[in-house]
Amino acid sequence: MSHTYTTFNRRQFDTLAQPMFFGEPVNVARYDIQKHKIFESLIEKQLSFFWRPEEVDLTNDRKDFQDLPEHEKHIFLSNLKYQTLLDSVQGRSPNVAFLPVVSLPELETWIETWAFSETIHSRSYTHIMRNVVPNPGEIFDDIVQNEYITRRAVSVTEYYDSFISLTNYYQQLGEGTHTINGEKVEVSLRELKRLLYLTMVSVNVLEGIRFYVSFACSFAFAERAKMEGNAKIIKLIARDEALHLTSTQHILQIMAKGKDDPEMGIIAEQCKEDTIKIFADAAQQEKEWAQYLFKDGSMIGLNQEILSQYVEYITNQRITAIGFEPLFAVKSNPLPWINSWLNSDNVQVAPQETEITSYLVGAIDSEINTDDLGDFTL
Amino acid sequence: MSAFRLSKTEDEFALTGEEQAQPLELEAYTPEEPENMDSFQVELFLPETNPEQPAASPQIEFEGMPVPRYQVSLDDGRNVYFQHAHTLLESLEAQGVEPQYQCREGYCGSCRVQLIDGEVYYYEEPMAWVNNNEILTCCCIPKSDLKIKL
Repeated sequence: MSHTYTTFNRRQFDTLAQPMFFGEPVNVARYDIQKHKIFESLIEKQLSFFWRPEEVDLTNDRKDFQDLPEHEKHIFLSNLKYQTLLDSVQGRSPNVAFLPVVSLPELETWIETWAFSETIHSRSYTHIMRNVVPNPGEIFDDIVQNEYITRRAVSVTEYYDSFISLTNYYQQLGEGTHTINGEKVEVSLRELKRLLYLTMVSVNVLEGIRFYVSFACSFAFAERAKMEGNAKIIKLIARDEALHLTSTQHILQIMAKGKDDPEMGIIAEQCKEDTIKIFADAAQQEKEWAQYLFKDGSMIGLNQEILSQYVEYITNQRITAIGFEPLFAVKSNPLPWINSWLNSDNVQVAPQETEITSYLVGAIDSEINTDDLGDFTL
Repeated sequence: MSAFRLSKTEDEFALTGEEQAQPLELEAYTPEEPENMDSFQVELFLPETNPEQPAASPQIEFEGMPVPRYQVSLDDGRNVYFQHAHTLLESLEAQGVEPQYQCREGYCGSCRVQLIDGEVYYYEEPMAWVNNNEILTCCCIPKSDLKIKL
Protein backbone atom coordinates (compact mmCIF):
# COMPACT_ATOMS: atom_id res chain seq x y z
CA MET A 1 0.00 0.00 0.00
CA SER A 2 0.95 3.61 -0.37
CA HIS A 3 1.70 5.65 2.71
CA THR A 4 -0.44 8.59 1.64
CA TYR A 5 -3.98 9.02 2.90
CA THR A 6 -6.95 9.38 0.63
CA THR A 7 -10.52 10.06 1.66
CA PHE A 8 -11.82 7.64 -0.93
CA ASN A 9 -9.42 4.90 -1.91
CA ARG A 10 -10.04 4.11 -5.60
CA ARG A 11 -7.98 0.93 -5.63
CA GLN A 12 -9.80 -2.37 -5.67
CA PHE A 13 -8.89 -4.69 -2.83
CA ASP A 14 -10.34 -7.35 -0.60
CA THR A 15 -11.75 -5.58 2.46
CA LEU A 16 -11.76 -8.77 4.48
CA ALA A 17 -8.03 -9.24 3.90
CA GLN A 18 -7.17 -5.90 5.52
CA PRO A 19 -5.77 -5.63 9.03
CA MET A 20 -7.45 -3.22 11.49
CA PHE A 21 -4.79 -0.56 10.95
CA PHE A 22 -2.15 0.29 8.33
CA GLY A 23 -3.79 -1.62 5.49
CA GLU A 24 -5.57 0.07 2.59
CA PRO A 25 -7.36 3.31 3.51
CA VAL A 26 -11.11 2.62 3.69
CA ASN A 27 -13.17 3.42 0.63
CA VAL A 28 -16.79 2.27 0.72
CA ALA A 29 -18.39 2.57 4.15
CA ARG A 30 -20.09 -0.80 3.87
CA TYR A 31 -21.25 -3.05 6.67
CA ASP A 32 -22.65 -5.97 4.70
CA ILE A 33 -19.39 -7.84 5.08
CA GLN A 34 -17.42 -7.50 8.25
CA LYS A 35 -14.06 -8.77 9.28
CA HIS A 36 -14.63 -8.14 13.00
CA LYS A 37 -18.36 -8.02 13.59
CA ILE A 38 -17.80 -7.01 17.23
CA PHE A 39 -17.29 -3.39 16.12
CA GLU A 40 -20.68 -3.37 14.41
CA SER A 41 -22.24 -4.71 17.64
CA LEU A 42 -20.46 -2.00 19.61
CA ILE A 43 -21.80 0.69 17.28
CA GLU A 44 -25.35 -0.59 17.70
CA LYS A 45 -25.00 -0.78 21.46
CA GLN A 46 -23.52 2.70 21.66
CA LEU A 47 -26.34 4.12 19.52
CA SER A 48 -28.92 2.45 21.73
CA PHE A 49 -27.28 4.17 24.72
CA PHE A 50 -27.84 7.63 23.29
CA TRP A 51 -28.77 10.19 25.94
CA ARG A 52 -28.75 13.95 26.39
CA PRO A 53 -27.46 15.69 29.52
CA GLU A 54 -30.48 18.03 29.58
CA GLU A 55 -32.70 15.04 30.34
CA VAL A 56 -31.28 15.01 33.85
CA ASP A 57 -32.63 17.61 36.23
CA LEU A 58 -29.97 19.23 38.41
CA THR A 59 -31.96 21.77 40.40
CA ASN A 60 -31.49 19.86 43.66
CA ASP A 61 -27.78 19.53 43.02
CA ARG A 62 -27.34 23.30 43.15
CA LYS A 63 -28.70 23.39 46.68
CA ASP A 64 -26.78 20.27 47.69
CA PHE A 65 -23.58 21.82 46.41
CA GLN A 66 -24.07 25.04 48.36
CA ASP A 67 -24.49 23.00 51.53
CA LEU A 68 -21.36 20.91 51.02
CA PRO A 69 -18.41 21.68 53.30
CA GLU A 70 -15.46 23.33 51.54
CA HIS A 71 -13.27 20.23 51.34
CA GLU A 72 -16.11 18.30 49.69
CA LYS A 73 -16.66 21.12 47.20
CA HIS A 74 -12.98 20.74 46.36
CA ILE A 75 -13.44 16.98 45.81
CA PHE A 76 -16.48 17.49 43.64
CA LEU A 77 -15.07 20.26 41.47
CA SER A 78 -11.62 18.69 41.08
CA ASN A 79 -13.15 15.48 39.81
CA LEU A 80 -15.34 17.36 37.42
CA LYS A 81 -12.30 19.22 36.09
CA TYR A 82 -10.37 16.00 35.65
CA GLN A 83 -13.23 14.31 33.84
CA THR A 84 -13.60 17.36 31.62
CA LEU A 85 -9.94 16.99 30.69
CA LEU A 86 -10.30 13.27 29.97
CA ASP A 87 -13.37 13.68 27.78
CA SER A 88 -11.92 16.71 25.98
CA VAL A 89 -9.06 14.43 24.96
CA GLN A 90 -11.30 11.48 24.12
CA GLY A 91 -13.78 13.57 22.15
CA ARG A 92 -11.17 14.23 19.49
CA SER A 93 -8.11 12.02 19.83
CA PRO A 94 -9.49 8.66 18.66
CA ASN A 95 -10.58 10.42 15.47
CA VAL A 96 -7.37 12.34 14.90
CA ALA A 97 -5.06 9.47 15.81
CA PHE A 98 -6.77 6.36 14.50
CA LEU A 99 -8.94 7.40 11.54
CA PRO A 100 -5.99 8.20 9.23
CA VAL A 101 -4.59 4.70 9.64
CA VAL A 102 -7.71 2.55 10.00
CA SER A 103 -8.47 0.00 7.29
CA LEU A 104 -11.82 -1.57 8.15
CA PRO A 105 -15.13 0.27 7.62
CA GLU A 106 -16.80 -1.13 10.73
CA LEU A 107 -13.84 -0.13 12.90
CA GLU A 108 -13.70 3.32 11.30
CA THR A 109 -17.37 3.90 12.12
CA TRP A 110 -16.92 2.54 15.62
CA ILE A 111 -14.11 5.04 16.28
CA GLU A 112 -16.32 7.91 15.08
CA THR A 113 -19.27 6.69 17.16
CA TRP A 114 -17.02 6.29 20.19
CA ALA A 115 -15.55 9.79 19.94
CA PHE A 116 -19.00 11.27 19.38
CA SER A 117 -20.31 9.77 22.59
CA GLU A 118 -17.39 11.38 24.44
CA THR A 119 -18.52 14.77 23.14
CA ILE A 120 -21.86 14.16 24.85
CA HIS A 121 -19.95 13.64 28.07
CA SER A 122 -18.13 16.93 27.59
CA ARG A 123 -21.44 18.69 27.02
CA SER A 124 -22.80 17.16 30.18
CA TYR A 125 -19.98 18.71 32.23
CA THR A 126 -21.02 22.15 30.99
CA HIS A 127 -24.60 21.26 31.91
CA ILE A 128 -23.52 20.28 35.42
CA MET A 129 -21.31 23.38 35.92
CA ARG A 130 -24.02 25.74 34.71
CA ASN A 131 -26.46 24.28 37.19
CA VAL A 132 -24.18 23.90 40.15
CA VAL A 133 -21.83 26.88 40.29
CA PRO A 134 -22.54 30.57 39.65
CA ASN A 135 -19.51 31.04 37.41
CA PRO A 136 -18.65 27.96 35.31
CA GLY A 137 -16.00 29.91 33.40
CA GLU A 138 -13.67 29.98 36.39
CA ILE A 139 -13.80 26.20 36.73
CA PHE A 140 -13.09 25.60 33.04
CA ASP A 141 -10.24 28.13 33.00
CA ASP A 142 -8.62 26.40 35.93
CA ILE A 143 -8.30 23.16 33.96
CA VAL A 144 -5.34 24.57 32.01
CA GLN A 145 -3.90 26.46 35.00
CA ASN A 146 -4.17 24.03 37.90
CA GLU A 147 -0.84 22.18 38.12
CA TYR A 148 -2.43 18.98 39.42
CA ILE A 149 -4.71 18.80 36.40
CA THR A 150 -2.11 19.84 33.82
CA ARG A 151 0.28 17.25 35.19
CA ARG A 152 -2.40 14.65 34.48
CA ALA A 153 -2.85 15.98 30.97
CA VAL A 154 0.76 15.09 30.09
CA SER A 155 0.43 11.39 30.88
CA VAL A 156 -3.01 11.18 29.30
CA THR A 157 -1.90 12.64 25.97
CA GLU A 158 1.78 11.77 25.46
CA TYR A 159 1.19 8.53 23.53
CA TYR A 160 -1.54 10.05 21.40
CA ASP A 161 0.65 13.02 20.53
CA SER A 162 3.76 11.07 19.58
CA PHE A 163 1.72 8.62 17.50
CA ILE A 164 -0.10 11.43 15.68
CA SER A 165 3.14 13.26 15.01
CA LEU A 166 4.90 10.19 13.56
CA THR A 167 1.83 9.30 11.48
CA ASN A 168 1.96 12.78 9.95
CA TYR A 169 5.57 12.33 8.87
CA TYR A 170 4.81 8.86 7.55
CA GLN A 171 1.91 10.05 5.44
CA GLN A 172 3.85 12.97 3.99
CA LEU A 173 7.26 11.42 3.52
CA GLY A 174 6.95 7.63 3.87
CA GLU A 175 9.41 5.40 5.63
CA GLY A 176 13.07 6.37 5.96
CA THR A 177 15.30 8.85 7.73
CA HIS A 178 14.20 12.40 7.08
CA THR A 179 15.63 15.72 8.11
CA ILE A 180 12.86 18.02 9.24
CA ASN A 181 13.70 21.56 10.37
CA GLY A 182 17.27 20.43 10.90
CA GLU A 183 16.25 17.46 12.99
CA LYS A 184 16.62 13.85 11.99
CA VAL A 185 13.40 11.85 12.18
CA GLU A 186 13.36 8.09 11.74
CA VAL A 187 10.07 6.90 10.26
CA SER A 188 9.32 3.20 10.07
CA LEU A 189 6.08 1.29 9.89
CA ARG A 190 7.35 -0.96 12.64
CA GLU A 191 7.84 1.96 15.04
CA LEU A 192 4.42 3.35 14.08
CA LYS A 193 2.78 0.05 14.91
CA ARG A 194 4.63 -0.08 18.21
CA LEU A 195 3.40 3.41 19.09
CA LEU A 196 -0.11 2.48 17.97
CA TYR A 197 -0.15 -0.50 20.32
CA LEU A 198 1.10 1.56 23.26
CA THR A 199 -1.34 4.37 22.48
CA MET A 200 -4.16 1.84 22.56
CA VAL A 201 -2.89 0.57 25.93
CA SER A 202 -2.88 4.12 27.30
CA VAL A 203 -6.44 4.65 25.99
CA ASN A 204 -7.46 1.40 27.66
CA VAL A 205 -6.01 2.75 30.91
CA LEU A 206 -7.79 6.07 30.42
CA GLU A 207 -11.18 4.46 29.82
CA GLY A 208 -10.78 1.70 32.39
CA ILE A 209 -8.83 3.17 35.30
CA ARG A 210 -8.50 6.95 35.16
CA PHE A 211 -12.23 7.64 35.14
CA TYR A 212 -12.98 5.42 38.09
CA VAL A 213 -11.65 7.56 40.95
CA SER A 214 -14.10 10.30 39.95
CA PHE A 215 -16.88 7.80 39.43
CA ALA A 216 -16.35 6.47 42.94
CA CYS A 217 -16.57 9.97 44.46
CA SER A 218 -19.69 10.91 42.52
CA PHE A 219 -21.43 7.73 43.61
CA ALA A 220 -20.25 8.17 47.20
CA PHE A 221 -21.97 11.59 47.25
CA ALA A 222 -25.15 10.04 45.89
CA GLU A 223 -25.05 7.22 48.46
CA ARG A 224 -25.63 10.01 50.98
CA ALA A 225 -28.41 11.43 48.77
CA LYS A 226 -26.21 14.37 47.75
CA MET A 227 -25.63 15.54 44.17
CA GLU A 228 -27.94 12.86 42.83
CA GLY A 229 -28.53 14.49 39.46
CA ASN A 230 -24.80 14.53 38.93
CA ALA A 231 -24.61 10.85 39.85
CA LYS A 232 -27.30 10.05 37.28
CA ILE A 233 -25.23 11.72 34.59
CA ILE A 234 -22.07 9.98 35.76
CA LYS A 235 -23.93 6.68 35.66
CA LEU A 236 -24.78 7.27 32.01
CA ILE A 237 -21.18 8.25 31.33
CA ALA A 238 -19.90 5.15 33.14
CA ARG A 239 -22.14 2.97 31.01
CA ASP A 240 -20.61 4.44 27.84
CA GLU A 241 -17.08 4.15 29.19
CA ALA A 242 -17.57 0.45 29.94
CA LEU A 243 -18.38 -0.04 26.27
CA HIS A 244 -15.37 1.98 25.13
CA LEU A 245 -13.19 -0.05 27.45
CA THR A 246 -14.51 -3.25 25.91
CA SER A 247 -13.65 -1.98 22.45
CA THR A 248 -10.04 -1.20 23.37
CA GLN A 249 -9.78 -4.65 24.97
CA HIS A 250 -10.94 -6.23 21.74
CA ILE A 251 -8.51 -4.17 19.67
CA LEU A 252 -5.61 -4.99 21.99
CA GLN A 253 -6.44 -8.69 22.04
CA ILE A 254 -6.85 -8.90 18.26
CA MET A 255 -3.49 -7.15 17.93
CA ALA A 256 -1.78 -9.38 20.51
CA LYS A 257 -3.09 -12.55 18.90
CA GLY A 258 -1.56 -11.36 15.60
CA LYS A 259 -4.83 -12.41 14.02
CA ASP A 260 -5.00 -9.91 11.21
CA ASP A 261 -1.45 -8.55 11.31
CA PRO A 262 1.18 -11.07 12.47
CA GLU A 263 3.72 -8.28 12.98
CA MET A 264 1.37 -6.67 15.51
CA GLY A 265 1.45 -9.89 17.55
CA ILE A 266 5.24 -9.76 17.72
CA ILE A 267 5.13 -6.07 18.65
CA ALA A 268 2.60 -6.72 21.42
CA GLU A 269 4.87 -9.42 22.81
CA GLN A 270 7.84 -7.02 22.77
CA CYS A 271 5.78 -4.27 24.41
CA LYS A 272 4.86 -6.34 27.46
CA GLU A 273 7.14 -4.48 29.84
CA ASP A 274 6.05 -1.08 28.54
CA THR A 275 2.41 -2.14 28.87
CA ILE A 276 2.85 -3.15 32.49
CA LYS A 277 4.60 0.14 33.14
CA ILE A 278 1.74 2.15 31.63
CA PHE A 279 -0.70 0.39 33.96
CA ALA A 280 1.55 0.72 37.02
CA ASP A 281 2.23 4.41 36.33
CA ALA A 282 -1.46 5.15 35.86
CA ALA A 283 -2.34 3.40 39.12
CA GLN A 284 0.33 5.44 40.91
CA GLN A 285 -0.91 8.71 39.38
CA GLU A 286 -4.50 7.94 40.32
CA LYS A 287 -3.43 7.25 43.91
CA GLU A 288 -1.63 10.60 43.97
CA TRP A 289 -4.77 12.19 42.61
CA ALA A 290 -6.75 10.63 45.47
CA GLN A 291 -4.25 12.22 47.84
CA TYR A 292 -4.86 15.64 46.25
CA LEU A 293 -8.63 15.14 46.40
CA PHE A 294 -8.61 14.40 50.11
CA LYS A 295 -5.88 16.88 51.07
CA ASP A 296 -8.27 18.97 53.18
CA GLY A 297 -10.29 16.06 54.53
CA SER A 298 -12.05 12.86 53.49
CA MET A 299 -15.67 12.53 52.59
CA ILE A 300 -18.15 10.26 54.33
CA GLY A 301 -17.76 6.75 52.97
CA LEU A 302 -14.49 7.37 51.16
CA ASN A 303 -10.96 8.19 52.10
CA GLN A 304 -7.58 8.18 50.41
CA GLU A 305 -6.66 4.69 51.56
CA ILE A 306 -9.81 2.92 50.46
CA LEU A 307 -9.81 4.78 47.15
CA SER A 308 -6.19 3.73 46.55
CA GLN A 309 -7.18 0.13 47.21
CA TYR A 310 -9.98 0.54 44.70
CA VAL A 311 -7.48 1.85 42.13
CA GLU A 312 -5.35 -1.26 42.71
CA TYR A 313 -8.36 -3.51 42.41
CA ILE A 314 -9.59 -1.91 39.20
CA THR A 315 -6.06 -1.94 37.75
CA ASN A 316 -5.88 -5.69 38.36
CA GLN A 317 -9.23 -6.14 36.64
CA ARG A 318 -8.16 -4.18 33.58
CA ILE A 319 -4.74 -5.70 33.14
CA THR A 320 -5.92 -9.28 33.56
CA ALA A 321 -8.64 -8.62 30.98
CA ILE A 322 -5.96 -8.12 28.34
CA GLY A 323 -4.11 -11.26 29.37
CA PHE A 324 -1.56 -10.03 31.93
CA GLU A 325 -0.89 -11.07 35.50
CA PRO A 326 -2.42 -8.86 38.23
CA LEU A 327 -0.12 -6.10 39.53
CA PHE A 328 -1.43 -5.84 43.08
CA ALA A 329 -2.29 -8.23 45.91
CA VAL A 330 -5.84 -6.89 46.43
CA LYS A 331 -8.36 -9.63 45.55
CA SER A 332 -11.81 -8.35 46.40
CA ASN A 333 -13.54 -5.08 45.58
CA PRO A 334 -13.04 -2.65 48.50
CA LEU A 335 -16.07 -0.61 47.34
CA PRO A 336 -18.64 -3.31 46.50
CA TRP A 337 -21.55 -0.84 46.58
CA ILE A 338 -20.17 0.77 43.43
CA ASN A 339 -21.27 -2.24 41.37
CA SER A 340 -24.91 -1.38 41.72
CA TRP A 341 -24.20 2.17 40.53
CA LEU A 342 -22.27 0.88 37.56
CA ASN A 343 -25.03 -1.54 36.66
CA SER A 344 -26.89 -0.32 33.61
CA ASP A 345 -30.04 -2.22 34.58
CA ASN A 346 -31.14 0.42 37.01
CA VAL A 347 -30.39 3.37 34.81
CA GLN A 348 -33.75 5.12 34.93
CA VAL A 349 -35.63 3.83 31.98
CA ALA A 350 -38.45 4.88 29.74
CA PRO A 351 -38.48 2.57 26.74
CA GLN A 352 -39.10 5.38 24.29
CA GLU A 353 -35.94 7.05 25.54
CA THR A 354 -34.20 4.05 23.99
CA GLU A 355 -32.20 3.22 27.07
CA ILE A 356 -33.33 -0.39 27.00
CA THR A 357 -31.18 -1.92 24.34
CA SER A 358 -33.81 -4.48 23.51
CA TYR A 359 -36.25 -1.71 22.69
CA LEU A 360 -35.73 -0.76 19.09
CA VAL A 361 -37.45 2.15 17.43
CA GLY A 362 -39.23 0.96 14.32
CA ALA A 363 -39.09 -2.68 15.31
CA ILE A 364 -42.66 -3.55 14.40
CA ASP A 365 -44.07 -6.93 13.64
CA SER A 366 -44.83 -6.74 9.94
CA GLU A 367 -46.02 -10.32 9.61
CA ILE A 368 -49.75 -10.60 9.07
CA ASN A 369 -51.98 -13.36 7.81
CA THR A 370 -55.66 -13.49 6.94
CA ASP A 371 -56.63 -15.12 10.27
CA ASP A 372 -55.61 -11.93 12.04
CA LEU A 373 -58.42 -10.12 10.23
CA GLY A 374 -61.03 -12.80 11.08
CA ASP A 375 -63.09 -10.66 13.45
CA PHE A 376 -62.82 -7.58 11.34
CA THR A 377 -66.09 -6.44 9.76
CA LEU A 378 -67.00 -3.44 7.70
CA MET B 1 -61.72 -22.03 67.39
CA SER B 2 -60.28 -19.16 69.31
CA ALA B 3 -58.50 -16.06 68.13
CA PHE B 4 -55.77 -14.40 70.10
CA ARG B 5 -53.08 -11.83 69.69
CA LEU B 6 -49.62 -13.34 69.31
CA SER B 7 -47.83 -10.16 70.28
CA LYS B 8 -48.28 -9.94 73.99
CA THR B 9 -45.63 -7.31 74.48
CA GLU B 10 -43.95 -4.94 72.06
CA ASP B 11 -40.48 -6.34 72.43
CA GLU B 12 -41.42 -9.77 71.15
CA PHE B 13 -41.17 -8.38 67.66
CA ALA B 14 -37.63 -7.53 66.86
CA LEU B 15 -37.07 -7.56 63.13
CA THR B 16 -34.05 -5.35 62.97
CA GLY B 17 -32.68 -5.90 66.43
CA GLU B 18 -34.56 -2.85 67.60
CA GLU B 19 -37.87 -2.62 69.35
CA GLN B 20 -40.90 -1.95 67.24
CA ALA B 21 -42.23 1.54 67.77
CA GLN B 22 -45.75 0.31 67.22
CA PRO B 23 -47.02 -3.15 68.13
CA LEU B 24 -47.77 -5.12 65.00
CA GLU B 25 -51.38 -6.02 64.44
CA LEU B 26 -50.99 -9.71 63.81
CA GLU B 27 -53.67 -12.22 64.50
CA ALA B 28 -53.56 -15.97 64.18
CA TYR B 29 -56.13 -18.68 64.53
CA THR B 30 -55.33 -22.02 66.11
CA PRO B 31 -57.64 -24.82 67.23
CA GLU B 32 -56.44 -24.53 70.81
CA GLU B 33 -54.69 -21.94 72.83
CA PRO B 34 -51.12 -23.05 73.65
CA GLU B 35 -50.56 -23.82 77.30
CA ASN B 36 -47.63 -21.57 77.93
CA MET B 37 -48.05 -18.28 76.09
CA ASP B 38 -44.91 -16.74 77.59
CA SER B 39 -42.55 -19.02 75.74
CA PHE B 40 -44.38 -18.64 72.44
CA GLN B 41 -42.08 -17.23 69.77
CA VAL B 42 -43.05 -15.48 66.62
CA GLU B 43 -40.93 -15.01 63.57
CA LEU B 44 -41.94 -12.81 60.70
CA PHE B 45 -40.50 -13.43 57.25
CA LEU B 46 -40.57 -10.53 54.89
CA PRO B 47 -41.03 -11.44 51.26
CA GLU B 48 -37.77 -11.26 49.40
CA THR B 49 -37.06 -12.07 45.80
CA ASN B 50 -34.69 -14.94 45.57
CA PRO B 51 -33.77 -16.01 42.07
CA GLU B 52 -33.13 -19.55 43.25
CA GLN B 53 -36.69 -19.80 44.60
CA PRO B 54 -38.62 -21.23 41.66
CA ALA B 55 -41.82 -19.41 42.47
CA ALA B 56 -40.20 -16.00 42.60
CA SER B 57 -38.35 -16.29 39.37
CA PRO B 58 -39.40 -19.01 37.00
CA GLN B 59 -36.71 -20.59 34.90
CA ILE B 60 -36.64 -19.55 31.27
CA GLU B 61 -37.30 -22.54 29.10
CA PHE B 62 -35.08 -23.08 26.14
CA GLU B 63 -36.30 -25.09 23.25
CA GLY B 64 -34.66 -28.45 22.85
CA MET B 65 -32.93 -28.24 26.19
CA PRO B 66 -33.90 -29.94 29.44
CA VAL B 67 -34.39 -27.64 32.44
CA PRO B 68 -30.90 -27.47 33.89
CA ARG B 69 -29.94 -28.38 37.43
CA TYR B 70 -26.23 -28.47 37.77
CA GLN B 71 -23.65 -28.35 40.49
CA VAL B 72 -21.34 -25.37 40.37
CA SER B 73 -18.13 -25.87 42.34
CA LEU B 74 -15.93 -22.94 43.19
CA ASP B 75 -12.18 -23.25 43.47
CA ASP B 76 -12.36 -22.27 47.15
CA GLY B 77 -14.30 -25.44 47.95
CA ARG B 78 -17.82 -24.00 48.01
CA ASN B 79 -20.53 -25.85 46.12
CA VAL B 80 -23.79 -24.36 44.87
CA TYR B 81 -26.56 -25.54 42.60
CA PHE B 82 -27.85 -23.83 39.54
CA GLN B 83 -31.49 -24.69 39.00
CA HIS B 84 -33.93 -21.83 38.70
CA ALA B 85 -32.09 -18.59 38.08
CA HIS B 86 -32.02 -16.68 34.82
CA THR B 87 -28.27 -16.47 34.77
CA LEU B 88 -25.32 -18.08 36.47
CA LEU B 89 -24.56 -14.70 38.06
CA GLU B 90 -28.02 -14.50 39.66
CA SER B 91 -27.73 -18.05 40.88
CA LEU B 92 -24.36 -17.42 42.52
CA GLU B 93 -25.61 -14.23 44.17
CA ALA B 94 -28.72 -15.96 45.50
CA GLN B 95 -26.54 -18.54 47.19
CA GLY B 96 -24.26 -16.14 48.97
CA VAL B 97 -21.35 -16.14 46.55
CA GLU B 98 -20.41 -12.58 45.75
CA PRO B 99 -19.16 -12.51 42.19
CA GLN B 100 -18.16 -9.25 40.51
CA TYR B 101 -20.54 -7.59 38.12
CA GLN B 102 -21.20 -4.28 36.47
CA CYS B 103 -23.38 -4.01 33.39
CA ARG B 104 -25.11 -7.44 33.66
CA GLU B 105 -25.63 -7.31 29.91
CA GLY B 106 -22.44 -8.90 28.66
CA TYR B 107 -20.65 -5.82 27.39
CA CYS B 108 -18.39 -4.76 30.27
CA GLY B 109 -16.71 -8.05 31.16
CA SER B 110 -16.64 -7.43 34.93
CA CYS B 111 -18.24 -10.78 35.71
CA ARG B 112 -15.54 -12.70 33.83
CA VAL B 113 -14.58 -15.90 35.70
CA GLN B 114 -12.29 -18.78 34.85
CA LEU B 115 -14.01 -21.92 33.68
CA ILE B 116 -11.97 -24.88 34.88
CA ASP B 117 -14.40 -27.59 33.89
CA GLY B 118 -17.80 -27.85 32.25
CA GLU B 119 -19.78 -26.10 29.54
CA VAL B 120 -22.10 -23.10 29.46
CA TYR B 121 -24.78 -21.83 27.12
CA TYR B 122 -24.92 -18.13 26.26
CA TYR B 123 -28.46 -16.97 25.75
CA GLU B 124 -27.01 -13.71 24.49
CA GLU B 125 -23.74 -13.41 22.62
CA PRO B 126 -21.40 -11.56 25.02
CA MET B 127 -19.78 -8.41 23.64
CA ALA B 128 -16.94 -8.26 26.12
CA TRP B 129 -13.73 -10.04 25.25
CA VAL B 130 -13.77 -13.58 26.62
CA ASN B 131 -10.72 -15.82 26.49
CA ASN B 132 -11.09 -19.54 25.78
CA ASN B 133 -10.92 -20.55 29.44
CA GLU B 134 -13.24 -17.78 30.66
CA ILE B 135 -16.99 -17.22 30.87
CA LEU B 136 -19.21 -14.22 31.57
CA THR B 137 -21.58 -15.24 34.35
CA CYS B 138 -24.11 -12.47 33.60
CA CYS B 139 -25.31 -13.93 30.32
CA CYS B 140 -24.85 -17.69 30.52
CA ILE B 141 -26.37 -20.73 32.15
CA PRO B 142 -24.60 -24.06 32.77
CA LYS B 143 -24.92 -26.90 30.28
CA SER B 144 -23.19 -29.33 32.62
CA ASP B 145 -21.76 -29.38 36.13
CA LEU B 146 -19.25 -26.55 36.36
CA LYS B 147 -16.00 -25.88 38.10
CA ILE B 148 -15.11 -22.19 38.17
CA LYS B 149 -12.55 -19.87 39.73
CA LEU B 150 -13.74 -16.41 40.76
